[in-house]
Amino acid sequence: MPNFLKNNQSPLEYVTIKVDDQSHINIKDQKKCLNQCENKPCTYYCPTRVFSWDEQSNKIRVDYSRCIECLACPFGCPLNNIDWNFPRGSYGVIYQPNGQ
Amino acid sequence: METDRYNAIIVGAGPAGSAAAIRLAQNDLSVALIERGERPGTKTMFGGSIYVEPTSRVIPEFWKDAPLERPLVTDEFWLLDRDSAVKVGFTGLKYKRSPYNKFSALRSKFDPWFAQQAVNEGAHLMTSTLVTDLVYEKTGLLSKKVAGVKLDSGEVIHADVVLLAEGASANLTEKAGLRGEIEKSSMFLYAKEELALPAEKIEARFNLEPDEGTNVGMIGYPTSGVAGKGGLWTNKESISLIVGGYLNQIIKKGVNPYQMISRFKAHPLVSRLIKGAETVAYKSRIIPKGGYESLPQLYDDGILVAGDAAVMISGRRGTDLAMLTGLYAADIIAQARAAEDHTSRILKGYEKKVMNSFFMKNIKKGKGGHKYQKEHPDTDYLLTKAANDAAYKFFKVGSKSSSEKMKKIRKEILDMQPVKKTVKDLYYALQDWSVF
Repeated sequence: MPNFLKNNQSPLEYVTIKVDDQSHINIKDQKKCLNQCENKPCTYYCPTRVFSWDEQSNKIRVDYSRCIECLACPFGCPLNNIDWNFPRGSYGVIYQPNGQ
Repeated sequence: METDRYNAIIVGAGPAGSAAAIRLAQNDLSVALIERGERPGTKTMFGGSIYVEPTSRVIPEFWKDAPLERPLVTDEFWLLDRDSAVKVGFTGLKYKRSPYNKFSALRSKFDPWFAQQAVNEGAHLMTSTLVTDLVYEKTGLLSKKVAGVKLDSGEVIHADVVLLAEGASANLTEKAGLRGEIEKSSMFLYAKEELALPAEKIEARFNLEPDEGTNVGMIGYPTSGVAGKGGLWTNKESISLIVGGYLNQIIKKGVNPYQMISRFKAHPLVSRLIKGAETVAYKSRIIPKGGYESLPQLYDDGILVAGDAAVMISGRRGTDLAMLTGLYAADIIAQARAAEDHTSRILKGYEKKVMNSFFMKNIKKGKGGHKYQKEHPDTDYLLTKAANDAAYKFFKVGSKSSSEKMKKIRKEILDMQPVKKTVKDLYYALQDWSVF
């Protein structure tokens, strides 16, 4: 997973996430990412870097366990190729009353 | 035994949903308030301020009881450049006393309290529950009406009417055919950090008494060249820092929201305010900035839409418009109950009420502003640059006469872009930030 900043700080240190055993984010058609998407913007506009490009398989890798449900990815994908659903009830990000 | 049929089902226990639930329960309607988080407020964020006047319409004198941070007495607007800032501001100490004006707040504390008020009035709050679909019933040969919702457990619950207060992504609103696809040029993406700092330090740095708070809105530097906003709020023992901009521009400029906020924190005029503060939360959220053109249809047979799902955003107001639209929806639902008619015939009264509201006039007025920033994404940058360059010259003590100095400043601003555009840029920037 690429780092956000030079000093390796990650915002995920400050977030609590209850991870489900099934993904709530899927790429609809990986071929579209490979053949039609030039910049692969999901790999940088996502605020917690859920998406990364896997050179070996030539696919977008989706690490749904990092998702904080900002809702941006389906709107930002230039090919409308991200299928994002709400995590099941109680799963996903849990913003705490006193931080964390 | 729980009844499986309600007068109203509300999807989402945010400001719109809870406000509606409070009002409906007060009117003795049976209400299910459904929240996908394990607690309200665990899935969302705002800057943020709670505005007193609209919130009082739901709960009079809520400040006596609600988990708020500080009454805001100071409002500032900074045009922030690399190592300077042109500042406009106002401090009014009347705002620290009843009836106040606005409070800084954290949604992870405020939302659970607000939903609890609905429970106290008799609403049934269901947490950890995701609504996956709407359920319809036939009302005629070709007509149908929303009659309930399906949950992620597979269970179906029924109601006379469903109010969608599901937030910005508005999946169910789209499924119901009330909203078309939203373009990314109409979406704002925000990132936020909450930074813990002892109260005495906050008060010393912002020149505040213990029962006073400040809010600073900023454009220019914070957004890394994206048309957007930065903001800072003082809480009791923490500082909220946000930065965000149009999603399409974030994509075009290749920036990441976490990098944006890290860069913002490192600005020399910001870093001194948060020095020694420890990050305790990182949050992010989209907000529809679409305004008038992207308003969905607000009703159909057996269904209404309120809050962010209905794109009720005007300038920096959103939370309060959510509450107000929640109240309007509740009033119409109560009326529909009295008339025993939950079809569009009665529910369309909600849209009429929203369209005639004071904030819809603002949303209509803001129409041009939104378009302007879409067409001129460099507005914030140029304006900030021009203002700061001019101010640097204006305050510089030198050997030029003041008329010579003003002449030079004027020339440099004119060289950068036509003055008419600068004035327009400023006008739209202020309008976008202003309360009204």
